[in-house]
Amino acid sequence: MNVSPPITRKGPGAARIGIGGPVGSGKTALIEALIPVFKARGIEIAVVTNDLVTKEDARRLQAGGLIDPDRVLAVEAGACPHTVIREDPTLNIAAADDLEAAFPGLDLIIIESGGDNLASTFSLDLVDWWMFVIDVAQGDDIPRKRGPGIVQSDLLVINKLDLAPHVFVDAAAILAEARQIRGDAPVIGCRARGATVEGIDQIADTIARELLFQDIPA
Amino acid sequence: MQMITDILGPAADYHDALHRLDHRHAVDVLRLPRADLARRRLRAISEGGREIALALPREVQLYDGAVLAIDEDSALVVRVETERWLRLAARNGAVALKLGYFCGNLHWRVRFEGEELLVALEQEDRLYHDRLAPMIAAGEVMVLPDRESQPA
Ligand SMILES: Nc1nc2c(ncn2[C@@H]2O[C@H](COP(=O)(O)OP(=O)(O)OP(=O)(O)O)[C@@H](O)[C@H]2O)c(=O)[nH]1
Ligand SMILES: [Mg+2]
Repeated sequence: MNVSPPITRKGPGAARIGIGGPVGSGKTALIEALIPVFKARGIEIAVVTNDLVTKEDARRLQAGGLIDPDRVLAVEAGACPHTVIREDPTLNIAAADDLEAAFPGLDLIIIESGGDNLASTFSLDLVDWWMFVIDVAQGDDIPRKRGPGIVQSDLLVINKLDLAPHVFVDAAAILAEARQIRGDAPVIGCRARGATVEGIDQIADTIARELLFQDIPA
Repeated sequence: MQMITDILGPAADYHDALHRLDHRHAVDVLRLPRADLARRRLRAISEGGREIALALPREVQLYDGAVLAIDEDSALVVRVETERWLRLAARNGAVALKLGYFCGNLHWRVRFEGEELLVALEQEDRLYHDRLAPMIAAGEVMVLPDRESQPA
């Protein structure tokens, strides 16, 4: 048997996850809701935000007081947001590498894409897993329109459930339809903002189970 | 749960040991869709029913035949699920250019086999057929029977 000793490497490092979805669906709001949940569970996180030509989302997180501002980096896409998460993710990979070097104890790096269309997907060179966030106010036919974001994401989040009655959408029906279209792949309904939040623990559970291998029943 | 944090090497490097273990039915397989080879982290169940947690360094890439674990009593090897392909022919050169551009825009994974174009079916079949329908209806693109070909 020709068994060469395994090469010693740095080890796997922090898990990297992507959050994509249309403009204003609540990606940053979801990160803001997840941060305290991860903190309470002792999960160390950092965030990379992507905006078109500003650092708006990074500034919002840095000013929010939820997370050490040094743990938030901004990447300016300068072009269609999907170019820096799929076609050429080098800027985002570099940002995640920088965070990992600066904070060696990180468990999780969250990369928020700039708001894009239903076709956007993440390169698996950049992230290990990605979720797609849509909201009920964008129309109850969104899941039906499919698109790679809806169909290929590891988790589909349907946000702003609180708005459903105001925009003439049946929340239960949109969730059921999304589940039917995605087959075995998970769908979670959520409310990231408001007096009460909803679905956030379930999203944190999914991430902790699938990426951090914690023993949480599905 | 068995935690895997590196690939030991290709099955060819462990040929004799794997051969011996195989006789004792002690080679377990982690079967993955091709799309999952790009992942560094995932949780999966092996064919032998073992729960596997994979967390590879970022510079490591999964491949068919990657040995994830091996000792005197057992081994765990990655196998890639058989792929399905849609085999297409274009009526002429102009249509072929258009078809190639079209598939690229949709980020479809393709292979070229002489005059024919193969599209990897990684989502529901219907999605591919719906997108191609206008070109097929116009007689520009022909869907050929799958010749069971498994491009390497
Ligand atoms: N009612 C309601 N509003 C929400 C919810 N989540 C987010 N919002 C609001 O939706 C708007 C957009 O939220 P963001 O978190 O900025 O959305 P985003 O997806 O990060 O936006 P971009 O990064 O610009 O694409 C804000 O006004 C939020 O307050 C929710 O669950 N319910
Ligand atoms: Mg945002």
